[in-house]
Amino acid sequence: MKTYFDKLHKWGAIWNYAALAALFMVPVAISIYLSQWPSLGVLAKILPPILILYWPTGIIETVTYIPMLGAGGTYLSFVTGNVSNLKLPCGLNAIENAKVRANTEEGEVISTLSIAVSSIVTTVVIAVGVLAFSPVLPKITAEGSVFKPAFEQVLPALFGALGAGYFFKHWKLGIAPILSGVVVLIFAPTMGVGILMVITIVVSIAGALIIYKNLWLPEFRRMKEAKKK
Amino acid sequence: MYGIAIAIVVFIISQSLFFAVKSWKHGKKLGISSETLKNTVISTILFTLAPSISILATVIVLANALGIVLPWIRLSVIGNLAYETVAAETALGVIGGSLSNPVDNPAAFSTIVWAMTIGACSPLIYLPLVCKKLQNKIGSTVNKNESTKKLGDVLSAAAFIGIISAFIARAINSCTTTKEIVLNEAGEEVTKNVITESSGVISILTLICATVFMLIFTALCKKIKRLEKFESFAMPLAMFAAMGCAILFTAVLPEGLRTFTWYSVGGVM
Repeated sequence: MKTYFDKLHKWGAIWNYAALAALFMVPVAISIYLSQWPSLGVLAKILPPILILYWPTGIIETVTYIPMLGAGGTYLSFVTGNVSNLKLPCGLNAIENAKVRANTEEGEVISTLSIAVSSIVTTVVIAVGVLAFSPVLPKITAEGSVFKPAFEQVLPALFGALGAGYFFKHWKLGIAPILSGVVVLIFAPTMGVGILMVITIVVSIAGALIIYKNLWLPEFRRMKEAKKK
Repeated sequence: MYGIAIAIVVFIISQSLFFAVKSWKHGKKLGISSETLKNTVISTILFTLAPSISILATVIVLANALGIVLPWIRLSVIGNLAYETVAAETALGVIGGSLSNPVDNPAAFSTIVWAMTIGACSPLIYLPLVCKKLQNKIGSTVNKNESTKKLGDVLSAAAFIGIISAFIARAINSCTTTKEIVLNEAGEEVTKNVITESSGVISILTLICATVFMLIFTALCKKIKRLEKFESFAMPLAMFAAMGCAILFTAVLPEGLRTFTWYSVGGVM
C-alpha cells in the first residue's frame, strides 16, 4: 500500500514539472508576443555568471531544506519561491508551535499546511498590490516615507524573533555560527546569504556534533542506564 | 501579459490549495486537533503579511526597468527577493542598461526574461529526482533508534540555527552593492560597485528588539493561562513590534546615530 509520503512525492513531482512547463510558457509567450527571440550569443554571455551563482546554491538549498521542511513543504517552497527568507522560517515556526517533530508524518502535515497558506498569502498580496496599490505602494516604501525603515528591517525583525526561541533553548549551539558568520562578513561584507548559510550551517552542525558527543550522549547513556536499574 | 500573470497566480493558488487540503485531511487522520491546524493557518497568515509586502516592494523596484508584469510573475514563481534583482542586474549589465532605466528594446527584454527563467529553474529540475531518495535515507537513518532520533533532532536544530545565524550575522555586519557607472578621477566612465544598503545601528536595534519582544511574549503566554492559546502568534507580533521600533528609532534617534552604518551608503567598494 502506498504511504502518505509516497503519495506526496508523486503529487510533488507532477506539480513540479507542471510548474516548470508553466514557468517556461512565460518567456515563450513574451517572445511570441514581441516577435523577438533571444539572441543565443547574448544569452551565452549573460547566463554563465547567473548559472554559476544560482545553480550550485539551488543544489545546496535543496539538500539543506528537505530534512527540515519535509517533502510537501520543499516541493511547494521551490515552486513558489522566497524559500530562505519566508517559507523556511514559516514552516519551522509552525512545526515549533504545533510541538511536532520534523521528519515525522505530523511534522510533514504542519510544515506543508503552513507553506501552502504562506504561498497563497504572498501570491494574493502581490497580485492585489500590483493590481490595486501599485500607484500608492511606491509612496509607502519610498525614501522619506515614515514606513520605509520598517520595510527595510523586515529580515532583522523576522530572524530576531524566530531566533529568540531557538537561541534561548539551544544557546550553546548558537554562539559559534553567529560569530563565524560575522567574522566571514568582515572580510566579505557583500557575501550573499545563500553562500554564507553554507558556512554557518557547517559550523553549527560541527559544533552540535562536538557538544552531542561530549555532553548530551554521555547524559543520554546515563539516563538509559538509570532507567534499566 | 496580464493574462499570463493571472494564469500563473491561478496555478500557484491551485497547487497551494491542493497541498493545504491534502495535509489538513491527513492531519485530521493522524489525530492532530482542528485547533492546532487552525492556529497554524492563522499564525502563518500573520507571519507572512509583512515579508509579502517587502516582496511586493521588490516587484515595484524592478517594475521601473522591466514593467510591472514580469517582476510580478517572477516573484510569484520560484522568485526570490535577492535573486531576481541580481539576475536582472547581471543581464542588464551585459546588454547595457540598469534597473534605474526602463528597458524599451524588445530584443533586450526578451533576452532578460529567458535569462531570469533559465537561471531560476534548476531546483524544479532536480528536486523530484533527489527528494524521495534523500528523505527516505534521512528517515531511515534518523528514526533507527532513540539515540539516532535524539541526534536527528540535534542536527536539524543545528542546521536551522545555522540558517538563522546567517541572517542574524548579515543584520549585524553586511552591505549590499549594485553595479553603477561612475566617473573616475580622469573623468572616464567606469563600472563600480556602489553600496546601496548597510547594516548599522538601526538593523542591530531592530534585531535586539525582535528577540526581546519574542522572549517577553512567549513568557507571558506561558505564565498567564488565558494567553496560552495565543502562543503561536507571539512570533508575528514580535516581528511587527520590532518593525514598529525601527520606525520609532528612525524618528527619535539623533541623525548621526540613526544613519550610522558600518559601510557608507552611496560609497564605492
